Amino acid sequence: MSESLAIQMLSIQKIYPDGTVALKGVNFDLRRGEIHGLLGENGAGKSTLTKILSGLLRPTEGKIFIRGKLKNFRNPSDALRSGIGMVHQHFALVPTFSALENILLGQEGSSNLSRLQMSKARARVEEMMRAGGFSVPLDARTESLAVGVQQRVEIIKMLYRSVDVLILDEPTAVLTPVEVHDFFKTLRTLRDAGKSIILITHKLKEILDVTDRVTVLRQGQNAGQIATPEATPEILARMMIGHDVLPSIEKKPTQIGSAIMQVSHLRVKDNLGLHSIEDLSFAVHAGEILGIAGVEGNGQTELVEAITGLRPVEHGEISINEKNIAGQNPRQLYQQGLAHVPEDRRRLGMILEFSLSENSILGVHREKRFHGWLGKILWGKVGSHTWDLIKKFSIVASDVKAPAKSLSGGNQQKLVCAREFDKQPSLVVAAQPTRGLDISATQYIRDQLVHLRDEGKAVLLVSADLEEIFQLSDRIAVMYEGKFMGVAKPEELDRERIGLMMGGVSALAAPVGEAAR
Amino acid sequence: MQECTVNFVGFLSLLWNSAPDLLRLALIAMVPITLTSVGEVFSEKSGIVNIGLEGILLISAFTSLWAAEVTSSPWIGLLAGLGTGALIGWIHGLIAIPLKGDQVISGIGINLFALGFVAFGIMAVWKSAGYHQAPPAARVPALQTPLGDLSPLIPATILIAILTWFLLNKTVLGLRVKAVGENPEATDVAGISVERTRFFAVIYGASLAGLGGAYLSIDWLSTITKELSAGRGFIALANVVFSGLNPLLALLGGFLFGVFDTLALWIDTVSELKPCLPFAFHNFVKMLPYIATLAVVAVAIGHARFPKQSGQPYRRE
Ligand SMILES: Nc1ncnc2c1ncn2[C@@H]1O[C@H](COP(=O)(O)OP(=O)(O)O)[C@@H](O)[C@H]1O
Ligand SMILES: [Mg+2]
Repeated sequence: MSESLAIQMLSIQKIYPDGTVALKGVNFDLRRGEIHGLLGENGAGKSTLTKILSGLLRPTEGKIFIRGKLKNFRNPSDALRSGIGMVHQHFALVPTFSALENILLGQEGSSNLSRLQMSKARARVEEMMRAGGFSVPLDARTESLAVGVQQRVEIIKMLYRSVDVLILDEPTAVLTPVEVHDFFKTLRTLRDAGKSIILITHKLKEILDVTDRVTVLRQGQNAGQIATPEATPEILARMMIGHDVLPSIEKKPTQIGSAIMQVSHLRVKDNLGLHSIEDLSFAVHAGEILGIAGVEGNGQTELVEAITGLRPVEHGEISINEKNIAGQNPRQLYQQGLAHVPEDRRRLGMILEFSLSENSILGVHREKRFHGWLGKILWGKVGSHTWDLIKKFSIVASDVKAPAKSLSGGNQQKLVCAREFDKQPSLVVAAQPTRGLDISATQYIRDQLVHLRDEGKAVLLVSADLEEIFQLSDRIAVMYEGKFMGVAKPEELDRERIGLMMGGVSALAAPVGEAAR
Repeated sequence: MQECTVNFVGFLSLLWNSAPDLLRLALIAMVPITLTSVGEVFSEKSGIVNIGLEGILLISAFTSLWAAEVTSSPWIGLLAGLGTGALIGWIHGLIAIPLKGDQVISGIGINLFALGFVAFGIMAVWKSAGYHQAPPAARVPALQTPLGDLSPLIPATILIAILTWFLLNKTVLGLRVKAVGENPEATDVAGISVERTRFFAVIYGASLAGLGGAYLSIDWLSTITKELSAGRGFIALANVVFSGLNPLLALLGGFLFGVFDTLALWIDTVSELKPCLPFAFHNFVKMLPYIATLAVVAVAIGHARFPKQSGQPYRRE
């Protein structure tokens, strides 16, 4: 094993206890003093691979060499002792502790019974922050800090443990473009100080901006490795997706009709009781897809829940076909012509233990056509209805009596879509409809959404995937802190403008474009 | 039949005159509830809830009396109580931590087991149905104090509560225990063993309950019956809620519950009161600790902040 490599991972295989094969023999290596990008779509196995490297998961098979020595980590402290630390996608911070306590946790002193020596630790952390050129408030409760700050706490925590390999799992997902810029500066400083960094992302631009080399994963396998100077967005996209570019979707120009849904002066609270949507007004018209883009957590989830009857409306109106529907329950909404493809399909879209048949009539199970005498459900009829949906949406399934959890993620989502689109809705609300799906299912569902729009339905698409937003939307709204930063046609926007708006900077000439109406 | 000569003012003055006596009784009654709750506070901070405290009190009361009697040493009896608590805590930990079982069910199991085990044990060891008196050699000797004879376990209990507070808030161990209760994943990632920390906390907590059980049988009540614990394990759980997981407040709460627990005893000792109280009232006073428990839980539970992962097993994958 070469000793110039900080890390070498050979034929790593991981099968989760539930049988999911997340990694199918992946190789990975990290040089000393480099920023190494780990690129791949959602579900490619990036988190799994790095969790194995950081000792949180054990590989089903495979070998890990650290500076040429074979290692077998049983837990994260083993990895930390070898100088490997990871900042997780979901932060590993204790919300009720101060930042300093979090940084200190696990490094407090020689013995369990020794007294906490906060002042010594504080001096060291402050020294480190000065050297690294960043700072966090050390005494505030961690849960009161902004996510960007929490992330810095995480990084300081690792540096405090004197790691020389720092793994960062999708660190930029929670940052605004301005914060990302500073964050990358920090990474370069760290690299120049001799640390090796693994940066996980699915954003091509970040890879090209800051890394020295890239490893690309696709569906649990190596899809390529390249030195960043030799890479172009096209090469990376090809490795990541397997096609050159996504086949573009045929979109006929449609005649945009009357407003199907009208939202006016909407105010909604989030789970903490704070206003997450404040005085929001917009309309979705027949024959259009209105795409809502934005960094997640800016009120999109609450908006969808308010529209679909899952969250109370504090103030304002939501109307479908000119009837105010605020306060109605999901069944009443369905009768008003609403179909909902929820963000969390495994929790809200289906009952995983139920069969395909049962799932295919969830919510429409009261319809007369499924009932016999005294309301008995006619499972034969339901079964053939399910088969119809399976055929129409090319769902891969062998038996309508099989539990929904036996389907792959893509086919589960297709089943949810099939059920919802079959409701003959006039308004479809689709939240993150292709998140975590494979290419073909993604493509299929996007086609279906465009098809609905071509049929003259109104579609509200909420997605964190800009590709998807640009590909499908007739109008794009960018949501930031519960408000629209602007509404515009895709032609009027580019990524940079959207990026600015997602970060809370108004980037349209007129704050609300001509397309806003 | 005597005439009742005590009016309300008279009652208050009686109460005032016997304040030192009441204080002594409350201190005596405080011990098992406080030890048990302080231990449970520690355990719950780590995310392990043990509702089997009642069972631990009872089983330890039995084992400690047995050990003290066999060895004629109350000190060995106390150790046996501690050890019994530790053992049961370890079993509860085994179910809750590596086996990821339901902590409530395990706790109920401990309580049910205790009922049968102690009833059977008394029979098997002493051939008597449900009752055995501790011989003098097995009893913890008292300390002479200005308040009268008091058990050495009373100052010990106060020290243990303060020590536990110190452990939780001023030591490395405490930081770790709190961390595994709030976010075990973070603790794991920080290189601290979630399993070991939680095991330590649950065993620490159950051992204190075990000591409380020993105090019941070889110190305060000097006897073992199959109802000896009389709900004190459950009262301790209420006291844990009252304390908001602060050992010092658990000490205060333990004392207050001790006052209630002791009132019925006190009323019996005041002969002037005998004719004044209808029989039903006497029983009502006996209910006081339990009513206080309910009231405290009803009021405090809304405000208590438990660790985020309270009662939840930790899984990595
Ligand atoms: N705890 C788990 N149990 C079962 N399957 C999992 C678990 N975590 C991730 N997976 C699956 O493993 C695959 C890879 O996931 P992950 O490593 O999180 O991908 P990425 O980080 O690249 O998005 C996905 O199919 C995902 O659904
Ligand atoms: Mg991931």
